[in-house]
Amino acid sequence: MQSTVNRPAVRGPSPLARKRLAQGAEIVATLIVIFFVMFPLVWMILAAFKTEIDVYSTRLFFQPTLDNFRAIFADPILLGSHTWVSALVSFVTVAITVPLGAAASYVLSRHRFRGRDSLFLAILISQFVPAVVVAIPFFNLFRTLGLIDTPVALIVVYLSFTLPYAIWMLRGFFDALPVEVEEAAFIDGCNELQTLRYVTLPLVMPGLLVAGVFAFISAWNEYFFALILTRSDSLTLPVAMQTITGPRGPMWQQVSAAGIVVMVPILVMSLFIRKYFVAGITVGAVK
Amino acid sequence: MDLPQTSKLSPDLPAAAPLRSGPAAARKPWKPQSTRLRWVMLGPAMLVIAATVLYPLASSFVTSFRDWRLTNSPLPGPFVGFANYARAFTDTAFINSLGVSALYMLLSVSLTLIIGLGIAMLLSKPTKLNVLTRTLLIFPFAVAPVLKGYSWKFMLNPEYGVYAKMIGDVFHPLRGYIWLGHEFSALCAIAMSEVWGWAPLFALMFIGALGSIPGETTEAAKVDGATSFQIFRKITLPLLAPVIYIVALLKIISAFKMFDQVSIMTGGGPGDSTQTLYFNVFQTAFRNLDMGYASALSYLLVALMGVIATFYVRTLLKGS
Repeated sequence: MQSTVNRPAVRGPSPLARKRLAQGAEIVATLIVIFFVMFPLVWMILAAFKTEIDVYSTRLFFQPTLDNFRAIFADPILLGSHTWVSALVSFVTVAITVPLGAAASYVLSRHRFRGRDSLFLAILISQFVPAVVVAIPFFNLFRTLGLIDTPVALIVVYLSFTLPYAIWMLRGFFDALPVEVEEAAFIDGCNELQTLRYVTLPLVMPGLLVAGVFAFISAWNEYFFALILTRSDSLTLPVAMQTITGPRGPMWQQVSAAGIVVMVPILVMSLFIRKYFVAGITVGAVK
Repeated sequence: MDLPQTSKLSPDLPAAAPLRSGPAAARKPWKPQSTRLRWVMLGPAMLVIAATVLYPLASSFVTSFRDWRLTNSPLPGPFVGFANYARAFTDTAFINSLGVSALYMLLSVSLTLIIGLGIAMLLSKPTKLNVLTRTLLIFPFAVAPVLKGYSWKFMLNPEYGVYAKMIGDVFHPLRGYIWLGHEFSALCAIAMSEVWGWAPLFALMFIGALGSIPGETTEAAKVDGATSFQIFRKITLPLLAPVIYIVALLKIISAFKMFDQVSIMTGGGPGDSTQTLYFNVFQTAFRNLDMGYASALSYLLVALMGVIATFYVRTLLKGS
């Protein structure tokens, strides 16, 4: 036994040197991870401030310029109007998703009735419906209704994934609240709606925020439906980025500037809810 | 009257509460249940889900049995039985996309798992540097898939791409290699753009699960003379297995949905080597405008997703 513990000390460098070496290796490896994770973002951010000449070199130091931002918000790209469409679509999607999702998940958590669990299961499964199945009928429906290339079309299809997701996630938050608090309010004379309004909802506020942010991110970043259902007026940011091309393909310095517009709000939001970020992806999958 | 009580409770409430679906409420029936309120609250959400999920599911199903090419007529054509489904089995483009998606799935799932595990093992100790690094790990996943595609396409450009240059400097034969111009490397590039987003997230999930492994177990193994690799093989990996299983399923589902980066980075090329299932169905429906056939293809996707989702849901239900 004793010999097993001491063996590493006998051969090679002293235990202290070994430990230092291992620590050093760990720090180097961690720096590599930071590089792997952050470099694509950093490189894009740098490119956004480069001139057309600098962007085609891999140099790290350059004279920064804001010309790219001026260019993308001017004619003919007019990213401002696309930012507006993206924001409108995302906010309206959230504004519908969160109240409807909260109401439904409250009932699914607190009420007991026949078929409740099957209903919840159906909502869970509905998240796996492939987007193409949703896209084909809506494309034809919106074509006949003249709704192609409108924000309304996007909001409708976005609800097909944000709402089931929000219900699934919010039910977890409601389930995590102890029922006793609500029972106490009930005994004190509140009816169910008052209990919900004054006790349950304030307590589940973080959940509403997290569900809202996730709905916003998925609507803001969405590309597939936007590509199918928009033409020119209602292009959202991810689709509009394709219009930033020159004779030699994408104009990277401007594409990167647009990338910052797409990326920064999302990065700020995800930092805001980072405590819930992992749980939000799997919702109860990992315990 | 209830407000003071609420504010007293809220600071220490759901912040740390686990997000599980095993309802605490199920054990103790919650008394004030108005049936009318129930349907008023449940109704709107159910209506929206019916309209946005059930309606298209049903509509696609019907369309999948019709001949409907928008190039011929804006109105649905006659019913053709299973002809659309039969066509899929002899359609080389579709069969190719099945193969591409399967290969892509294997590539992206295995790379994500390996890199995610590596990062998790490295950052599992809560030192200052590690905790800071963990915060950075959420960023790549939050970035829009379109941006992942642009950023990797930019960095892999053979003339001015920074990653292409780095690889070329380290390994000279690959200098000037056109990453997106060769079949296998194009698929790998798409996979890498996705692995970059998912592996850090997986690492976070693994770190969360590693935290629940009691320190005494590994301590005891070390005292008994186990090497770090043995500890990893015999203790860490088996304890992580349930988490690995569930995140792998999640990644498999997402791999079969790959579309955005294909559209941005390669457009399905070179040739048809990166035409994933989603890309193929997209082309059939919205470029060739063959709605009947595309509906049949999308229903084959529903079947595929259904199989994987069954595993996923079953595991979730068992877990709670």
